[in-house]
Amino acid sequence: METNRRVFLKVAGLATLGFMVTKPALDVFARGQFGEASVGEALDPPHEVGTTTKWGMAVNLTACSEKDGCTACTDACHDYHNVPDIDNKEEEIKWIWTAPYEKVFPEHGNEFIEDDLRGSEVMVLCNHCEHPPCIKVCPTRATWKREDGIVMMDFHRCIGCRYCMAGCPYGARSFNWKDPRPFIKETNPDFPTRTRGVVEKCNFCAKRLSKGLQPACVEACPEKALTFGNLLDDHSELREILATHTIVRRLPELGTEPNVYYYKAD
Amino acid sequence: MATRDLHMEEDEILFKPIESSGKNFYLTASILGVLVILGVIAYIYQYRNGLAVTGLSRQVFWGVYITNFVFFIGISHAGTLISAILRIVKAEWRLPVTRAAELITVLVLLFGVGSIIIDLGRPDRMFNLVRHAQFGSPLLWDVTSVAIYFTASSFFLYIALIPDIALLRDRGNSPKWLYQILSAGFTGTAKQLRVLDILILIMAIAVIPIAVSVHTVVSFVFAMTIQPMWHSAIFGPYFVVGAIFSGVAALIIAMYLIRKFYNLGDYLKHKQFNNLGLLLLVMACFWFYFTLAEYLTTFYGNEPAQMTVFWSKFTGEFAPLFWAMFIFCFVIPFPILAINRTRTILGTTIASISVVIGMWLERYVIVVPTLTAQRLASDLPTYMPTWVEWSILAGSAAFFCLLYVLFSKFFPIIAIWEIREDREKKREEIIEYVRERLPEKGEELEEVLPE
Repeated sequence: METNRRVFLKVAGLATLGFMVTKPALDVFARGQFGEASVGEALDPPHEVGTTTKWGMAVNLTACSEKDGCTACTDACHDYHNVPDIDNKEEEIKWIWTAPYEKVFPEHGNEFIEDDLRGSEVMVLCNHCEHPPCIKVCPTRATWKREDGIVMMDFHRCIGCRYCMAGCPYGARSFNWKDPRPFIKETNPDFPTRTRGVVEKCNFCAKRLSKGLQPACVEACPEKALTFGNLLDDHSELREILATHTIVRRLPELGTEPNVYYYKAD
Repeated sequence: MATRDLHMEEDEILFKPIESSGKNFYLTASILGVLVILGVIAYIYQYRNGLAVTGLSRQVFWGVYITNFVFFIGISHAGTLISAILRIVKAEWRLPVTRAAELITVLVLLFGVGSIIIDLGRPDRMFNLVRHAQFGSPLLWDVTSVAIYFTASSFFLYIALIPDIALLRDRGNSPKWLYQILSAGFTGTAKQLRVLDILILIMAIAVIPIAVSVHTVVSFVFAMTIQPMWHSAIFGPYFVVGAIFSGVAALIIAMYLIRKFYNLGDYLKHKQFNNLGLLLLVMACFWFYFTLAEYLTTFYGNEPAQMTVFWSKFTGEFAPLFWAMFIFCFVIPFPILAINRTRTILGTTIASISVVIGMWLERYVIVVPTLTAQRLASDLPTYMPTWVEWSILAGSAAFFCLLYVLFSKFFPIIAIWEIREDREKKREEIIEYVRERLPEKGEELEEVLPE
């Protein structure tokens, strides 16, 4: 026992020391030397962040698909975030939308999948991955991960190279091919509009969270198919759902570790 | 005598393009000028209206511009790399070729970088790349690597140009001030020549790893992502091979035009075309080998995401372009270059034109199909470049040619001083050779052989 304890202390001590030495060096690499406050960072909630919060979401596969033609969550999100309504596949901008089950989960697309899932529409949005490949490739750190797990986007720093779109395997990012403003029906003064030439995507309603509100999509869903919460809180409703259902995430083989989970209610 | 004999009467033809401009020059410059203006108009149009004027879309967000970026940077490997390697291995047939090659590198890099800027949604913010540089991004590796390559190859081109600029200065060519400044006080003293030789050697060695790194990191822009058929470990060397392949081809085409329009058949001979043609043949084989390795492993592995892209190239939407690429890169050039009788000046040039077209297609076929068939593509989207993209491609290529022609109007496109130095060296060698065997003929020969 005694030796085990000693070994443990040694290893822990060395690890701490190593961490203290390498962390600043890695930070320089990761953050860039010129990291300065940007508009997006101003959205950081003043409290409740840090190691005690990691935002996540659970999507009830069947509850959503039960209501055909419902676009409540998409509308709420897009209205709140001034997402332009451009009606063509080439130039459209979307933060949360639906896609066929077999496309969202290609690994489940076998011959004998359950009838209620076959061809059903599934809500998809940015997964706010634990290891976001989009962030790694951004040359200007216009997209970055907050401590509470939200993958943020700074529209004022983005140079529009679209490398993050190549990085993201989920197609969660949209590019403003043209000036989006004429395509916004009613501008919400609470959220900035974008210029043409920048990338945008879901931000888990960072701004609403800072006011203590739930994300717009979660609030709007009439079927309560979306559950949002703190993954680090053992007693959250979200954790309760994850603990009691079979859950899946998108493209798990890529190691991105999405923080958006999907489950089928009984 | 401090300065070397200038051999005014010799190599006159090499000064001719600088001292007089014929009808052909004005005609060429005008045609190229018109294309450049077309490209500029297209870019202004795009700058004002946004990238919506291109055929790009939410799904296929990279297209002709990124293809051009990879292609132009690839062409740049013609020059400095080849010239540097040939210098180091002391292949003397390189002498009339090196400057033409090095010039391609320096000029075409501008258009490689330009293509990226043209592709940006917010070009006005491009300095964020420096201000907020995030070195974890392969794009930043490109910026760094290309900047170093551009600096090094410009310097390489320039130092080997100094003695020729001094020649022009001493001949009293105008603009006098230009040659005065650029000749940097070079008078051809033994010490200056020694320093120059050392500098050129250092640069020749330094430039090789830089050039290899450049195209490797260009490939990393794709290979570092997890997109199907981009995420490939072979991409680094595959891109470098493709770059040298297309670069050599571009050089042969340039040599052909220089030879024809400036009547330099006495300098750019069958030997140069034959040797570079053989190099092109070797690169064609390498290219075939890498392409086979890349596609066969994908096919055998049979992963669904990869196979969607694979089939779109082999039998699907991109099949015409894919097979055209294969024909232009291999089926046409290989026999022409492999058979002695067709590996002529004209033959190698035709093979080279084929390779340049094929390699542009290759870059396109790497960039676009993956994007149309990403893992979660909602449906197979199509991408059709618009007139804006084609005009910018034409404009960039024309602008490059125009700068190339203009350079040859101010500076000799063949390194005169190196040719002369080599001639002198050969003369001494011959005399030495004869003197060793027939001592009594040595004196005689020295008088007979022209200085």
